[in-house]
Amino acid sequence: MSSGKFKLSLDGWAVGLALLLALLVRFNILPTIPW
Amino acid sequence: MSTSVAIKQSTSTNLSSRLFSFIPGVILLAAIGYAGKFIEQSISRYGKSHHVSLPNIEYVLWAILIGLAISNTVRIPELFKAGIATYEFWLKVGIVLLGARFLLGDVIKLGGLSLALVVIELAIAIALMTALGRAFKLKPKLITLLAVGSSICGVSAIIAAKGAIDADDEDSSMAIAAILALGAISLFTFPFIGHLLGMSNHAYGLWSGLAVDNTAEAVAAGALYSDAAGKIAVLAKTARNAMIGFVVLGYAIYWASKGQAHTVHNKALFLWQKFPKFILGFLLISLLATLGFFNKDQIGSLGNLSRWAFLLTFAGVGLRTSLREMREQGLRPFIVGAVGEVVIAAVTLGLVLGADRLFHLS
Repeated sequence: MSSGKFKLSLDGWAVGLALLLALLVRFNILPTIPW
Repeated sequence: MSTSVAIKQSTSTNLSSRLFSFIPGVILLAAIGYAGKFIEQSISRYGKSHHVSLPNIEYVLWAILIGLAISNTVRIPELFKAGIATYEFWLKVGIVLLGARFLLGDVIKLGGLSLALVVIELAIAIALMTALGRAFKLKPKLITLLAVGSSICGVSAIIAAKGAIDADDEDSSMAIAAILALGAISLFTFPFIGHLLGMSNHAYGLWSGLAVDNTAEAVAAGALYSDAAGKIAVLAKTARNAMIGFVVLGYAIYWASKGQAHTVHNKALFLWQKFPKFILGFLLISLLATLGFFNKDQIGSLGNLSRWAFLLTFAGVGLRTSLREMREQGLRPFIVGAVGEVVIAAVTLGLVLGADRLFHLS
Protein backbone atom coordinates (compact mmCIF):
# COMPACT_ATOMS: atom_id res chain seq x y z
CA MET A 1 0.00 0.00 0.00
CA SER A 2 2.70 2.42 0.94
CA SER A 3 4.63 1.65 -2.25
CA GLY A 4 1.39 2.34 -4.14
CA LYS A 5 1.18 5.72 -2.49
CA PHE A 6 4.80 6.44 -3.42
CA LYS A 7 4.14 5.42 -7.03
CA LEU A 8 1.16 7.73 -7.27
CA SER A 9 3.14 10.73 -6.16
CA LEU A 10 6.36 9.81 -8.01
CA ASP A 11 5.85 12.46 -10.69
CA GLY A 12 5.06 15.10 -8.07
CA TRP A 13 8.22 14.31 -6.10
CA ALA A 14 10.32 14.32 -9.28
CA VAL A 15 8.96 17.64 -10.49
CA GLY A 16 9.31 19.11 -6.97
CA LEU A 17 12.96 18.08 -6.66
CA ALA A 18 13.79 19.26 -10.19
CA LEU A 19 12.17 22.67 -9.57
CA LEU A 20 13.97 23.00 -6.23
CA LEU A 21 17.31 22.23 -7.91
CA ALA A 22 16.50 24.70 -10.69
CA LEU A 23 15.80 27.44 -8.13
CA LEU A 24 18.99 26.63 -6.18
CA VAL A 25 20.98 26.94 -9.41
CA ARG A 26 19.12 30.10 -10.46
CA PHE A 27 19.86 31.91 -7.21
CA ASN A 28 23.48 30.64 -7.14
CA ILE A 29 22.92 28.69 -3.93
CA LEU A 30 24.31 25.62 -5.69
CA PRO A 31 27.74 26.12 -7.28
CA THR A 32 28.31 25.47 -10.99
CA ILE A 33 27.64 21.77 -11.61
CA PRO A 34 30.44 20.07 -13.53
CA TRP A 35 30.15 16.93 -15.63
CA MET B 1 -4.34 18.27 20.06
CA SER B 2 -1.94 15.68 21.48
CA THR B 3 -3.38 13.09 19.04
CA SER B 4 -2.65 15.37 16.08
CA VAL B 5 0.91 15.96 17.32
CA ALA B 6 1.37 12.21 17.74
CA ILE B 7 0.05 11.57 14.21
CA LYS B 8 2.30 14.27 12.78
CA GLN B 9 5.30 12.79 14.59
CA SER B 10 4.54 9.28 13.37
CA THR B 11 4.03 10.55 9.77
CA SER B 12 7.36 12.37 9.82
CA THR B 13 9.08 9.30 11.33
CA ASN B 14 7.55 7.15 8.57
CA LEU B 15 8.70 9.57 5.89
CA SER B 16 12.23 9.84 7.27
CA SER B 17 12.55 6.05 7.68
CA ARG B 18 11.33 5.63 4.09
CA LEU B 19 13.86 8.19 2.91
CA PHE B 20 16.63 6.38 4.84
CA SER B 21 15.60 3.07 3.24
CA PHE B 22 16.42 4.52 -0.19
CA ILE B 23 19.98 5.58 0.71
CA PRO B 24 21.92 2.26 0.26
CA GLY B 25 20.38 1.57 -3.17
CA VAL B 26 20.86 5.15 -4.36
CA ILE B 27 24.52 4.99 -3.29
CA LEU B 28 24.84 1.74 -5.28
CA LEU B 29 23.25 3.42 -8.34
CA ALA B 30 25.63 6.39 -7.98
CA ALA B 31 28.67 4.12 -7.55
CA ILE B 32 27.83 2.05 -10.65
CA GLY B 33 27.00 5.14 -12.71
CA TYR B 34 30.20 6.88 -11.64
CA ALA B 35 32.23 3.73 -12.33
CA GLY B 36 30.80 3.78 -15.89
CA LYS B 37 31.84 7.41 -16.31
CA PHE B 38 35.26 6.69 -14.81
CA ILE B 39 35.88 3.74 -17.17
CA GLU B 40 34.92 5.82 -20.23
CA GLN B 41 37.24 8.65 -19.17
CA SER B 42 40.09 6.28 -18.25
CA ILE B 43 39.97 4.54 -21.64
CA SER B 44 39.89 7.88 -23.42
CA ARG B 45 42.84 9.21 -21.32
CA TYR B 46 44.83 6.00 -21.90
CA GLY B 47 44.23 6.23 -25.67
CA LYS B 48 45.33 9.88 -25.75
CA SER B 49 48.46 9.40 -23.61
CA HIS B 50 49.58 6.31 -25.57
CA HIS B 51 48.54 7.72 -28.96
CA VAL B 52 46.31 4.76 -29.74
CA SER B 53 42.84 4.93 -31.16
CA LEU B 54 40.45 3.08 -28.83
CA PRO B 55 36.71 2.71 -29.43
CA ASN B 56 34.75 5.30 -27.48
CA ILE B 57 32.29 3.30 -25.40
CA GLU B 58 29.93 5.71 -23.65
CA TYR B 59 29.46 5.73 -19.87
CA VAL B 60 25.83 4.85 -20.56
CA LEU B 61 26.78 1.40 -21.83
CA TRP B 62 29.35 0.82 -19.07
CA ALA B 63 26.80 1.70 -16.37
CA ILE B 64 24.22 -0.65 -17.89
CA LEU B 65 26.74 -3.47 -18.34
CA ILE B 66 28.07 -3.18 -14.77
CA GLY B 67 24.49 -3.19 -13.46
CA LEU B 68 23.63 -6.22 -15.62
CA ALA B 69 26.74 -8.08 -14.45
CA ILE B 70 25.95 -7.44 -10.77
CA SER B 71 22.24 -8.27 -10.89
CA ASN B 72 22.79 -11.47 -12.88
CA THR B 73 25.71 -12.88 -10.91
CA VAL B 74 25.13 -12.00 -7.26
CA ARG B 75 21.95 -11.84 -5.23
CA ILE B 76 21.37 -8.17 -4.41
CA PRO B 77 20.61 -7.79 -0.68
CA GLU B 78 17.13 -6.59 0.25
CA LEU B 79 18.70 -3.49 1.81
CA PHE B 80 19.47 -2.06 -1.64
CA LYS B 81 16.18 -2.81 -3.38
CA ALA B 82 14.16 0.27 -2.33
CA GLY B 83 16.94 2.60 -3.50
CA ILE B 84 17.47 0.75 -6.78
CA ALA B 85 13.75 1.12 -7.53
CA THR B 86 14.21 4.92 -7.47
CA TYR B 87 15.89 4.81 -10.89
CA GLU B 88 12.56 5.74 -12.47
CA PHE B 89 12.33 8.74 -10.13
CA TRP B 90 15.79 9.92 -11.25
CA LEU B 91 14.74 9.44 -14.87
CA LYS B 92 11.83 11.84 -14.34
CA VAL B 93 14.00 14.35 -12.44
CA GLY B 94 16.48 14.21 -15.35
CA ILE B 95 13.78 14.74 -17.96
CA VAL B 96 12.27 17.73 -16.12
CA LEU B 97 15.73 19.34 -15.72
CA LEU B 98 16.52 18.68 -19.38
CA GLY B 99 13.63 21.05 -20.18
CA ALA B 100 16.12 23.89 -19.49
CA ARG B 101 18.05 22.92 -22.61
CA PHE B 102 15.01 23.30 -24.89
CA LEU B 103 13.46 26.56 -26.00
CA LEU B 104 9.68 26.25 -25.88
CA GLY B 105 9.48 26.97 -29.65
CA ASP B 106 11.70 23.94 -30.34
CA VAL B 107 9.60 21.82 -28.00
CA ILE B 108 6.44 22.80 -29.90
CA LYS B 109 8.08 22.29 -33.33
CA LEU B 110 9.82 18.99 -32.57
CA GLY B 111 7.15 17.83 -30.14
CA GLY B 112 4.46 18.54 -32.76
CA LEU B 113 6.34 16.53 -35.39
CA SER B 114 6.91 13.76 -32.82
CA LEU B 115 3.22 13.74 -31.92
CA ALA B 116 2.21 13.41 -35.58
CA LEU B 117 4.60 10.48 -35.99
CA VAL B 118 3.47 9.03 -32.64
CA VAL B 119 -0.16 8.90 -33.82
CA ILE B 120 0.86 6.90 -36.91
CA GLU B 121 3.14 4.67 -34.80
CA LEU B 122 0.33 4.05 -32.29
CA ALA B 123 -2.14 2.94 -34.97
CA ILE B 124 0.39 0.59 -36.57
CA ALA B 125 1.69 -0.82 -33.26
CA ILE B 126 -1.77 -1.53 -31.84
CA ALA B 127 -3.07 -3.15 -35.06
CA LEU B 128 0.10 -5.21 -35.48
CA MET B 129 0.32 -6.44 -31.89
CA THR B 130 -3.37 -7.38 -31.89
CA ALA B 131 -3.00 -9.39 -35.12
CA LEU B 132 0.20 -11.09 -33.93
CA GLY B 133 -1.23 -11.88 -30.50
CA ARG B 134 -4.29 -13.50 -32.07
CA ALA B 135 -2.14 -15.48 -34.51
CA PHE B 136 -0.06 -16.82 -31.58
CA LYS B 137 -3.22 -17.46 -29.53
CA LEU B 138 -2.19 -15.28 -26.58
CA LYS B 139 -4.82 -14.40 -23.98
CA PRO B 140 -6.86 -11.32 -25.09
CA LYS B 141 -5.86 -9.16 -22.10
CA LEU B 142 -2.19 -10.09 -22.53
CA ILE B 143 -2.52 -8.91 -26.16
CA THR B 144 -3.96 -5.60 -24.90
CA LEU B 145 -1.07 -5.18 -22.45
CA LEU B 146 1.54 -5.96 -25.11
CA ALA B 147 -0.15 -3.56 -27.54
CA VAL B 148 -0.19 -0.78 -24.91
CA GLY B 149 3.40 -1.49 -23.86
CA SER B 150 4.77 -1.52 -27.38
CA SER B 151 2.75 1.42 -28.68
CA ILE B 152 3.30 3.89 -25.83
CA CYS B 153 5.68 3.70 -22.98
CA GLY B 154 6.54 0.27 -21.79
CA VAL B 155 6.25 -0.58 -18.15
CA SER B 156 4.30 2.43 -16.84
CA ALA B 157 1.73 2.07 -19.65
CA ILE B 158 1.31 -1.62 -18.88
CA ILE B 159 0.82 -0.87 -15.18
CA ALA B 160 -1.71 1.89 -16.02
CA ALA B 161 -3.57 -0.43 -18.40
CA LYS B 162 -3.50 -3.36 -15.96
CA GLY B 163 -5.61 -1.43 -13.44
CA ALA B 164 -7.94 -0.01 -16.09
CA ILE B 165 -8.78 -3.32 -17.79
CA ASP B 166 -8.60 -5.56 -14.67
CA ALA B 167 -5.85 -7.75 -16.15
CA ASP B 168 -4.24 -10.37 -13.92
CA ASP B 169 -0.73 -10.20 -12.45
CA GLU B 170 0.61 -13.05 -14.56
CA ASP B 171 -0.34 -11.34 -17.84
CA SER B 172 1.13 -8.02 -16.79
CA SER B 173 4.42 -9.52 -15.58
CA MET B 174 4.72 -11.45 -18.87
CA ALA B 175 4.09 -8.27 -20.87
CA ILE B 176 6.55 -6.28 -18.71
CA ALA B 177 9.25 -8.97 -19.06
CA ALA B 178 8.82 -9.06 -22.86
CA ILE B 179 8.96 -5.27 -23.16
CA LEU B 180 12.04 -5.03 -20.88
CA ALA B 181 13.88 -7.82 -22.74
CA LEU B 182 13.23 -6.10 -26.06
CA GLY B 183 14.26 -2.76 -24.60
CA ALA B 184 17.58 -4.28 -23.50
CA ILE B 185 18.17 -5.68 -27.01
CA SER B 186 17.39 -2.31 -28.60
CA LEU B 187 20.16 -0.69 -26.53
CA PHE B 188 22.68 -2.66 -28.55
CA THR B 189 20.97 -2.77 -31.97
CA PHE B 190 19.68 0.80 -32.37
CA PRO B 191 23.03 2.66 -32.16
CA PHE B 192 24.55 0.06 -34.49
CA ILE B 193 21.81 0.57 -37.12
CA GLY B 194 21.95 4.35 -36.66
CA HIS B 195 25.70 4.41 -37.38
CA LEU B 196 25.28 1.96 -40.26
CA LEU B 197 22.75 4.28 -41.93
CA GLY B 198 24.73 7.41 -41.01
CA MET B 199 21.68 8.95 -39.35
CA SER B 200 21.77 12.53 -38.08
CA ASN B 201 21.46 13.11 -34.32
CA HIS B 202 17.96 14.51 -34.80
CA ALA B 203 16.72 11.65 -36.95
CA TYR B 204 18.28 8.99 -34.73
CA GLY B 205 16.99 10.60 -31.51
CA LEU B 206 13.50 10.81 -32.98
CA TRP B 207 13.67 7.16 -34.03
CA SER B 208 14.74 5.86 -30.62
CA GLY B 209 12.10 8.01 -28.91
CA LEU B 210 9.43 6.56 -31.20
CA ALA B 211 10.50 2.93 -31.36
CA VAL B 212 12.12 1.99 -28.03
CA ASP B 213 9.35 1.20 -25.58
CA ASN B 214 10.44 1.88 -22.07
CA THR B 215 11.37 5.50 -21.32
CA ALA B 216 14.65 4.67 -19.53
CA GLU B 217 15.81 2.46 -22.42
CA ALA B 218 14.70 5.03 -25.02
CA VAL B 219 16.75 7.74 -23.26
CA ALA B 220 19.72 5.37 -22.92
CA ALA B 221 19.52 4.28 -26.59
CA GLY B 222 19.54 7.96 -27.59
CA ALA B 223 22.41 8.88 -25.25
CA LEU B 224 24.44 5.91 -26.54
CA TYR B 225 24.45 7.57 -29.98
CA SER B 226 25.29 11.10 -28.84
CA ASP B 227 24.33 13.70 -26.27
CA ALA B 228 22.27 15.61 -28.86
CA ALA B 229 20.47 12.43 -29.97
CA GLY B 230 19.69 11.66 -26.32
CA LYS B 231 18.07 15.07 -25.95
CA ILE B 232 15.83 14.53 -28.98
CA ALA B 233 14.99 10.98 -27.85
CA VAL B 234 13.73 12.39 -24.52
CA LEU B 235 11.49 14.87 -26.34
CA ALA B 236 10.05 12.30 -28.76
CA LYS B 237 9.50 9.76 -25.98
CA THR B 238 7.83 12.41 -23.81
CA ALA B 239 5.42 13.23 -26.66
CA ARG B 240 4.66 9.51 -26.91
CA ASN B 241 4.13 9.21 -23.15
CA ALA B 242 1.61 12.06 -23.31
CA MET B 243 -0.71 9.78 -25.32
CA ILE B 244 -0.91 7.14 -22.58
CA GLY B 245 -4.28 8.29 -21.23
CA PHE B 246 -6.04 8.16 -24.61
CA VAL B 247 -4.88 4.63 -25.46
CA VAL B 248 -5.58 3.23 -21.98
CA LEU B 249 -9.00 4.94 -21.97
CA GLY B 250 -9.79 3.37 -25.36
CA TYR B 251 -8.96 -0.11 -24.07
CA ALA B 252 -10.78 0.49 -20.75
CA ILE B 253 -13.96 1.40 -22.68
CA TYR B 254 -13.50 -1.65 -24.94
CA TRP B 255 -13.13 -4.11 -22.03
CA ALA B 256 -15.94 -2.43 -20.05
CA SER B 257 -18.25 -2.86 -23.07
CA LYS B 258 -17.51 -6.60 -22.85
CA GLY B 259 -18.34 -6.56 -19.14
CA GLN B 260 -14.75 -7.49 -18.21
CA ALA B 261 -13.59 -4.19 -16.66
CA HIS B 262 -15.04 -1.32 -14.65
CA THR B 263 -16.96 1.33 -16.58
CA VAL B 264 -15.14 4.68 -16.82
CA HIS B 265 -17.67 7.31 -15.74
CA ASN B 266 -15.61 10.50 -15.79
CA LYS B 267 -13.43 10.32 -18.90
CA ALA B 268 -11.78 13.74 -18.39
CA LEU B 269 -10.75 12.77 -14.84
CA PHE B 270 -9.49 9.40 -16.12
CA LEU B 271 -7.32 11.15 -18.76
CA TRP B 272 -5.93 13.54 -16.14
CA GLN B 273 -5.16 10.67 -13.72
CA LYS B 274 -3.27 8.74 -16.41
CA PHE B 275 -1.44 11.80 -17.81
CA PRO B 276 2.27 11.71 -16.85
CA LYS B 277 2.52 14.89 -14.77
CA PHE B 278 6.30 15.17 -15.05
CA ILE B 279 5.72 16.39 -18.64
CA LEU B 280 4.20 19.56 -17.11
CA GLY B 281 7.42 20.06 -15.11
CA PHE B 282 9.48 19.63 -18.29
CA LEU B 283 7.34 22.26 -20.09
CA LEU B 284 7.55 24.64 -17.11
CA ILE B 285 11.37 24.51 -16.96
CA SER B 286 11.53 24.91 -20.74
CA LEU B 287 9.21 27.96 -20.48
CA LEU B 288 11.41 29.48 -17.74
CA ALA B 289 14.54 28.93 -19.87
CA THR B 290 12.79 30.51 -22.89
CA LEU B 291 11.82 33.56 -20.80
CA GLY B 292 15.49 34.05 -19.81
CA PHE B 293 15.02 33.04 -16.15
CA PHE B 294 18.37 31.18 -16.29
CA ASN B 295 21.64 32.50 -17.70
CA LYS B 296 23.87 30.43 -19.99
CA ASP B 297 26.02 29.00 -17.17
CA GLN B 298 22.94 28.08 -15.16
CA ILE B 299 21.43 26.28 -18.16
CA GLY B 300 24.73 24.39 -18.45
CA SER B 301 24.51 23.45 -14.76
CA LEU B 302 20.90 22.26 -15.11
CA GLY B 303 21.89 20.20 -18.17
CA ASN B 304 24.69 18.60 -16.15
CA LEU B 305 22.37 17.91 -13.20
CA SER B 306 20.06 16.19 -15.67
CA ARG B 307 22.97 14.02 -16.90
CA TRP B 308 23.83 13.04 -13.30
CA ALA B 309 20.21 12.04 -12.75
CA PHE B 310 20.29 9.97 -15.97
CA LEU B 311 23.50 8.33 -14.77
CA LEU B 312 21.60 6.86 -11.81
CA THR B 313 18.84 5.78 -14.19
CA PHE B 314 21.20 3.90 -16.52
CA ALA B 315 22.74 2.03 -13.58
CA GLY B 316 19.21 1.09 -12.51
CA VAL B 317 18.32 -0.17 -16.01
CA GLY B 318 21.18 -2.68 -15.78
CA LEU B 319 20.44 -3.69 -12.18
CA ARG B 320 16.76 -4.19 -12.92
CA THR B 321 17.30 -6.43 -15.98
CA SER B 322 17.19 -10.06 -14.83
CA LEU B 323 18.01 -12.50 -17.62
CA ARG B 324 16.77 -15.43 -15.50
CA GLU B 325 13.33 -13.87 -14.91
CA MET B 326 13.02 -13.17 -18.62
CA ARG B 327 13.73 -16.80 -19.48
CA GLU B 328 11.10 -17.93 -16.96
CA GLN B 329 8.34 -15.85 -18.58
CA GLY B 330 7.94 -18.17 -21.57
CA LEU B 331 8.72 -17.75 -25.21
CA ARG B 332 5.40 -16.91 -26.91
CA PRO B 333 4.85 -13.37 -25.50
CA PHE B 334 8.51 -12.68 -26.20
CA ILE B 335 8.22 -13.84 -29.83
CA VAL B 336 5.06 -11.78 -30.38
CA GLY B 337 6.78 -8.78 -28.80
CA ALA B 338 9.99 -9.31 -30.78
CA VAL B 339 8.28 -9.72 -34.18
CA GLY B 340 6.08 -6.72 -33.43
CA GLU B 341 9.02 -4.59 -32.27
CA VAL B 342 11.12 -5.37 -35.34
CA VAL B 343 8.25 -4.31 -37.62
CA ILE B 344 7.52 -1.20 -35.50
CA ALA B 345 11.23 -0.28 -35.52
CA ALA B 346 11.37 -0.70 -39.32
CA VAL B 347 8.17 1.31 -39.89
CA THR B 348 9.21 4.13 -37.54
CA LEU B 349 12.65 4.18 -39.16
CA GLY B 350 10.90 4.69 -42.51
CA LEU B 351 8.72 7.45 -41.01
CA VAL B 352 11.70 9.24 -39.48
CA LEU B 353 13.81 9.01 -42.64
CA GLY B 354 10.82 10.33 -44.62
CA ALA B 355 10.32 13.20 -42.14
CA ASP B 356 14.09 13.89 -42.29
CA ARG B 357 13.85 14.33 -46.06
CA LEU B 358 10.75 16.50 -45.84
CA PHE B 359 11.71 18.71 -42.89
CA HIS B 360 15.54 18.43 -42.91
CA LEU B 361 15.66 17.50 -39.21
CA SER B 362 19.34 18.16 -38.62
